[in-house]
Amino acid sequence: MDTTSIRNFSIIAHIDHGKSTLADRLLQITGTISERDMQEQVLDDMELERERGVTIKASAVRMSYQANDGQTYEMNLIDTPGHVDFSYEVSRALQACEGAILVVDSTQGIEAQTLANLYMALEQDLEIIAVVNKIDLPAARPDEIAQEIEDLIGIDAADVIQVSAKTGEGVAQILEAIVEKIPPPKGASDTPARALIFDSHYDSYKGVIAYVRVMEGVITKTDTLRLIASNVVTTPVEIGIFNPHMTPVDRLNAGEVGYVATGLKTVRECRVGDTITLGVDGAAHALPGYKQAKPMVFAGFYPTDNDAYIDLRDALEKLQLNDAALVYEPETSQALNFGFRVGFLGLFHMEIIQERLEREYDLDILATAPSVEYQVVLRSGDILTIHSPAELPDPSVVDEIREPWMAIEIFTPEEFIGPIMDLVTKKRGVYFSMEYLDSKRVQLKYTIPLAELIVDFYDRLKSGTRGYASLDYHFDGFQVDRLVKLDVLVNKQPVDALAMIVHEDDAYHKGQRLVSRLKRLIPRQLYEVPIQAAVGKHVISRANVKALRKDVLAKCYGGDVTRKKKLLEKQKKGKKRLKMIGNVEVPQEAFMAVLRLDDDD
Amino acid sequence: MPCQTTKPNHTPLSERVPDTACYFHIPFCRTRCSYCDFNTYTGQDSLIPHYMHALATEVRLVGVSATVEVTTLFFGGGTPSLIPANDLNVVLDSCRQSFELAGDAEISLEANPGTISRSYLYSLRQYGVNRLSIGMQSAHARELNLFERTHQLGDVRLAVEAARDAGFENISLDLIYGIPLQTLDDWRISLDTALDMRPDHLSLYALGVEDGTPLHGWIADGRFPSPDPDLAADMYEWASERLAQAGFEQYEISNWARPDFACQHNLRYWRNTSYLGFGAGAHGHAVFSGTSAVRYANVLHPADYIRRIQAQTGPCPFPLSDAVAWSEHLDGRQVMADTMFMGLRLIREGISPGVFKARFGDDLWQVYGAILDRLIAAGLVERTADERVRLTSRGRLLGNQVFAEFV
Repeated sequence: MDTTSIRNFSIIAHIDHGKSTLADRLLQITGTISERDMQEQVLDDMELERERGVTIKASAVRMSYQANDGQTYEMNLIDTPGHVDFSYEVSRALQACEGAILVVDSTQGIEAQTLANLYMALEQDLEIIAVVNKIDLPAARPDEIAQEIEDLIGIDAADVIQVSAKTGEGVAQILEAIVEKIPPPKGASDTPARALIFDSHYDSYKGVIAYVRVMEGVITKTDTLRLIASNVVTTPVEIGIFNPHMTPVDRLNAGEVGYVATGLKTVRECRVGDTITLGVDGAAHALPGYKQAKPMVFAGFYPTDNDAYIDLRDALEKLQLNDAALVYEPETSQALNFGFRVGFLGLFHMEIIQERLEREYDLDILATAPSVEYQVVLRSGDILTIHSPAELPDPSVVDEIREPWMAIEIFTPEEFIGPIMDLVTKKRGVYFSMEYLDSKRVQLKYTIPLAELIVDFYDRLKSGTRGYASLDYHFDGFQVDRLVKLDVLVNKQPVDALAMIVHEDDAYHKGQRLVSRLKRLIPRQLYEVPIQAAVGKHVISRANVKALRKDVLAKCYGGDVTRKKKLLEKQKKGKKRLKMIGNVEVPQEAFMAVLRLDDDD
Repeated sequence: MPCQTTKPNHTPLSERVPDTACYFHIPFCRTRCSYCDFNTYTGQDSLIPHYMHALATEVRLVGVSATVEVTTLFFGGGTPSLIPANDLNVVLDSCRQSFELAGDAEISLEANPGTISRSYLYSLRQYGVNRLSIGMQSAHARELNLFERTHQLGDVRLAVEAARDAGFENISLDLIYGIPLQTLDDWRISLDTALDMRPDHLSLYALGVEDGTPLHGWIADGRFPSPDPDLAADMYEWASERLAQAGFEQYEISNWARPDFACQHNLRYWRNTSYLGFGAGAHGHAVFSGTSAVRYANVLHPADYIRRIQAQTGPCPFPLSDAVAWSEHLDGRQVMADTMFMGLRLIREGISPGVFKARFGDDLWQVYGAILDRLIAAGLVERTADERVRLTSRGRLLGNQVFAEFV
């Protein structure tokens, strides 16, 4: 099989720099999607993706393009998720390609995450086609940005293609560049098949659909297949290509991108990065780079209505079919009853899952503040891994506590270096390096505890730099620190779901902030409610929520009883959203209060 | 939409309504008070003659299918005292012709101090208006300015004096408390000043800051502080004591009267009995044989209202007219719930198990025992020696916590 007419590529771009619009344009120009079926963000099927303007799941599409040289090329565009939480998925998608289009907004310049992804592409020897987008905007500075790209990655500024994905200007040039610059896939057809899984989704009829790039060999629809890492053998229901919809084919050759409907029941058996080979006489070794997705952030998810526990379990189960990175286990809280401790790749992943549970499964979820994984070394020498502050054992049996640290990179205009330094220092971060990207923009590197990173770091970075800074991060390692558990008592009862693990030096300050914030968030009840923060037996802060004195509608205007009833109904409904802890009604926001402890009140 | 097309006229429901009140909404004002979110309009005075004509017509249209005794009438607003006395009388006459008007019917009118002359008051009395509710609101110029009221304290004094001279024996004053920047002393002065005028009835309303009002905007942008609910509670408690000393009986959460001067019209709301609403945005409630009911409201804008009434060709099912914009039927259970949360506003009377049983045929404690036990345990509701259920003094300020249990 001749692969010289195949081109496999991804698009690397920062959120809002126009990746989806460019993809839409490519699909249109190649006639892959008829004008009638054209809509914005074609590749993003999920309602949430469209709303947030960001790709959450990868996808792939095959386009057929007749180039200026008269030949017809098969182009496979592999779309990648647009958030650092999913950088592993991005790396797999890049591995499936020979080239990548780097899209940079000509009004903004290159951003941290884009550069991180770009480095990933360069490590995998991808051919880069640099594009500056949005040249139709009055604020566009395409030449300047092209120079920035040259300075950063050494692509000649003259080779940077200037386009407007919105108007279509310049897009045809990109297609030609793909043909000319990106090499056709290599890989022999006569070796045992090895296909890289770069994403998957669950289909209720065909089981897990693996999105694959055949790196070498051939897969036919009658082959028995084996997934090397998970060591699962299966006979596919069908194999096919994305054209742009799933279209069955008889065989997928080396170099081609397509799908394998595996018939498997969960995506955990078919993980991103795994290798598909033949069941008989298959390859012995998996393709390099496979990692099992590891959750970094954990939160308790509880149904507001205790009766919805089973519904929540079923919903998580369904989401997990499609999301191998999502883990959960049952958790019991004295305050919140029965729920789950759920693990996520990051905060964005958590937000997406929470939103999908609420929207797609119509569940009212109470989420506790996110926490990280701690390694607790006990006096006995055993190491305990905990995912919730409530699990922290009594200090008397603890030798040391280790927490995850992240290496972060921040791109920023130089005038914000001061505020960023302040922010990082406040968050226990450690300075590593600073480098000028050009005369005005700086790359800063730090390490910082993940626990600090997930608590409003990103929002504060954005607000402190008027939105100009961008952030990328990856796991660095575990480090020992002086960490303590901060307990919160509401009406003298410790509330496990409000406990947090903090640095000893921050305990007093955070305890005070938390108490004053809870005092404002917990509505006044019929009785006075004391709120306390304590480390061990030592109470470090206390405030009282005063008893409610006045709550009555004064007047019934001209006999408008209906309006009055509506107000009372609203009040009653609002009450239902509160969680009873002992005799105290506590709103959802209280459980998230720990996320806002650094705000200036 | 004309009511005939939606509901055929069958059993004369009016026969199951023994007596009723009539409420007339006068949606016109010279200026709008800063806290007001009612159905009121300024600069529409040219509509007044047509509007009053429409009111009289609506009364006839509804009355045609009714043989109901009317025990109270109430002109509310808006500013009813903007309406020439003759025009009011046309409506009253229409009532007299269309309904059985009780000989001792209470006929109230809300009046803004500063809009009423001696001769006007004299005419009102002549036409049968026998109760005047005067919007005093405050004794302090600063507070009246905040409210963008056009009157001054002196106007209130003059109005009360003139009303007495004209022969009004039942005068009520409205006051507002819980005003931004108002101190307890400010409030004491307002209430004592009101008492000096020897009213027969007082309505004390905690200021509600409603969305969309200028006052809401000023508080939202920080020009004025939010009313402090605890201070408002102190004001309320002080007023309760002060008025008890002065010989007033508190008969409802916000209402006090000298013996025998409770507002009969408003009592009908709280006892959850019938009242017919006439005019733009007016709400009505007709209770059939005590148990099922219809609540309804007319279109809001006076011009729409006039158009609809003018276009109406025949009667609608009682108690509706073609001006109705919304109506809702309530079954026995809903009427029961309304009876509870409205009736518990009555401080002394509360809910009597005997009256409840006579009305609904059900035992109060069987229907609401669980809720009532909980409220009693929380100290919000009490049982009196004669078995009535009513709010405790603490419950009066926490009424919503009680009422919400019944909706």
